[in-house]
Amino acid sequence: MNTIIISGLAFALPLFIIAIGGIYSERSGITNLALEGFLGFGAFFGAASVMVMTGGNLAGIEVPMFLVALVFSMIGGALFAMLHALLCIPFKANQVISGVVINILAAALTAFFTSQINTVLVGKPTNKFVLGVCAKFTVPGISKIPVLGAFFTDIYYYVPIIIVVALFMTYILYKSRFGLRLRACGDNPHAVDAAGGDVSKTRFIAVMISGALSGLGGICFAYSISASFSPSIYAGYGFLAIAALIFGNWKIGPTLGACLLFGFARAAGYKLAQTLGLSSAFSDIIMILPYVLTLLLLMFFSSTNRAPRALGEIYDKGKR
Amino acid sequence: MNKDSKANPFVRGVLTTLGDEKRQSISIPLFAILLSLIAGAIVILCLGKNPLTAFLSFLQGSGILPKPEYAAKKSIITDLMSMINMWTPMIFAALAVAVALKTGLFNIGVSGQMLVAGFAASITVGYSNLPAAIAMPLVLVIGLVCGGAVGALIGWLKHRFNINEVVTSIMLNYIFQYVISFFINSYYINPVSRQSQPISAAARLTLVDVPVFGLKMDIPLGFLLTIPIAFLVLFLLNKTRVGYELKIVGLNKKAAKYAGIKVGKSMVTSMAISGALAGLAGVTLYLGYYNSIQPRVLTSVGFDSIAVCLLGNSHPIGILFSSLLISIISKGSNYMSSIMGIPQEIAQVITGLILLFSACGAYIRYRVAQAREEFPGGKLQIGAESKEKGGDKV
Repeated sequence: MNTIIISGLAFALPLFIIAIGGIYSERSGITNLALEGFLGFGAFFGAASVMVMTGGNLAGIEVPMFLVALVFSMIGGALFAMLHALLCIPFKANQVISGVVINILAAALTAFFTSQINTVLVGKPTNKFVLGVCAKFTVPGISKIPVLGAFFTDIYYYVPIIIVVALFMTYILYKSRFGLRLRACGDNPHAVDAAGGDVSKTRFIAVMISGALSGLGGICFAYSISASFSPSIYAGYGFLAIAALIFGNWKIGPTLGACLLFGFARAAGYKLAQTLGLSSAFSDIIMILPYVLTLLLLMFFSSTNRAPRALGEIYDKGKR
Repeated sequence: MNKDSKANPFVRGVLTTLGDEKRQSISIPLFAILLSLIAGAIVILCLGKNPLTAFLSFLQGSGILPKPEYAAKKSIITDLMSMINMWTPMIFAALAVAVALKTGLFNIGVSGQMLVAGFAASITVGYSNLPAAIAMPLVLVIGLVCGGAVGALIGWLKHRFNINEVVTSIMLNYIFQYVISFFINSYYINPVSRQSQPISAAARLTLVDVPVFGLKMDIPLGFLLTIPIAFLVLFLLNKTRVGYELKIVGLNKKAAKYAGIKVGKSMVTSMAISGALAGLAGVTLYLGYYNSIQPRVLTSVGFDSIAVCLLGNSHPIGILFSSLLISIISKGSNYMSSIMGIPQEIAQVITGLILLFSACGAYIRYRVAQAREEFPGGKLQIGAESKEKGGDKV
């Protein structure tokens, strides 16, 4: 039970922060299929800056470098997201095609630059930055409580960071003036314009926030699941986050529920396969658990689902 | 600010070429491709290589232009056939995306539907001893039916439970990927290649190593179907009642309902057709281009086809050309990479750039219209047509 909570949380929270990024973009009216690309590029940028700063040698300074990686992955994600924002807002591109293109470009560019940087640093064109696993900590005292204590045991350092960022982003989206504008941009951009707001600017910032949060989620995946940055980061987490945010009806609270469901079902599946001593082939069958569960739950809960009204539409001032 | 409005001959030339609205559906994508090739050339120049040689090597690698030398029993035709072999599934997959898009649905699950169709056809016909004359049509039918069934399921879930088709598709992608991986690993695994057992040659839609005029080549029979099916889709969408209903549902659900069109039925039909086309893509990929399935891997064809479809303006004939372009680049990238010493990822970057500039087609159209209004000799009545088609809610 404890391992399910621990590893479930470690998977669910990065996914959640990526999904919040998606919510920011989509609530502002910009369809975001590019989460996958953002998280990959963000993680690449974070990992690459750490590699360049340390010259490829991480020994002994993992924790400060981990924080550096977090910051740079957010910067990298935000910078790369500008491309999506530029295409979708001033260049009026189709947002779906832009998203797909961003994903293709991110995979190609990161693979190319990774091997180039590695050639310079280690002299071999490998496609991998070995980062190691993020350090963990246990809260003394509380962790002794049965079941609940597991939430405070062996926590990756990124977990509290993500929680703080998520709370802050929730506050911004629902309680601040900017958040109100942002949500209005997704439902009725003309009203925002009439009230003196700048639709393009709000949407641009929203997409950049989306990139920054995805980058943060991406580097957390790189520091936990794979312990490295490699093309294997493009394992569809971005699409999973999109599924989670649609499941959560474009609201942050229910999306957290969806992400926790994914995380715990995934961890439970692994645990089940392990305890039953199943071969790797059978564990594949158990791996479908989170996805089947999602589909079944959606059958009951999605009748009231509604996308932001202006989602995917290019804002045209003159249109009625 | 607007430099285009200065009347120099170059600008005038660009405006006359791009300004004609009747030709814009062709001229703007071509212009975008030109821009992207220039951008790609700059990338290659930055790497210190000659872009012209690189572009030629794409064409040489995909069998459009002759290479300087060939291995025994190989020639330009062999390369061309191999490129067509790769092109075939891409066409079907992009058509699948296009049909769903016309109904306002976004089929991101093409890869999953391809996998199901390929797997079902492999285990039923691929591992049987049926003669080619029966096996090949059967493979196609199984592909159509399986893909269509999955598509219809997605459409039905959307209609009955209001589950967003994007979520269903993504979930089903994962489910199929894992379940099929389980069956392959348990029953059909080839211990050497770590893939499923190769299918019988009779069931494979590509004839492999056929000796023709002293050459050995692969003949993709599936390609014979692509052009008729592209025209069939065009006919369905533009000339039939079903197609008309699909399009109206995509344009405005409420209006469609008011006009007495069964919206739910149209969505299921559209997804079923889309899935069936994806199924064809699946069998031509897994029982044509390849002859086995790699467990736990979803092909990227299904995702690339979204971009290919939109590059082709979601028009069946446009898709034929856009998928050709992308196939040439991905097929030629091996050869380009080997003779130029450029990493193969650059080909992906160029593909990305082409799609990137094509995505800006609406913007180019808008700027051209704007420039023509300000242009002394231009027509004044051209409105800024900035509304993009095919924008979808995800």
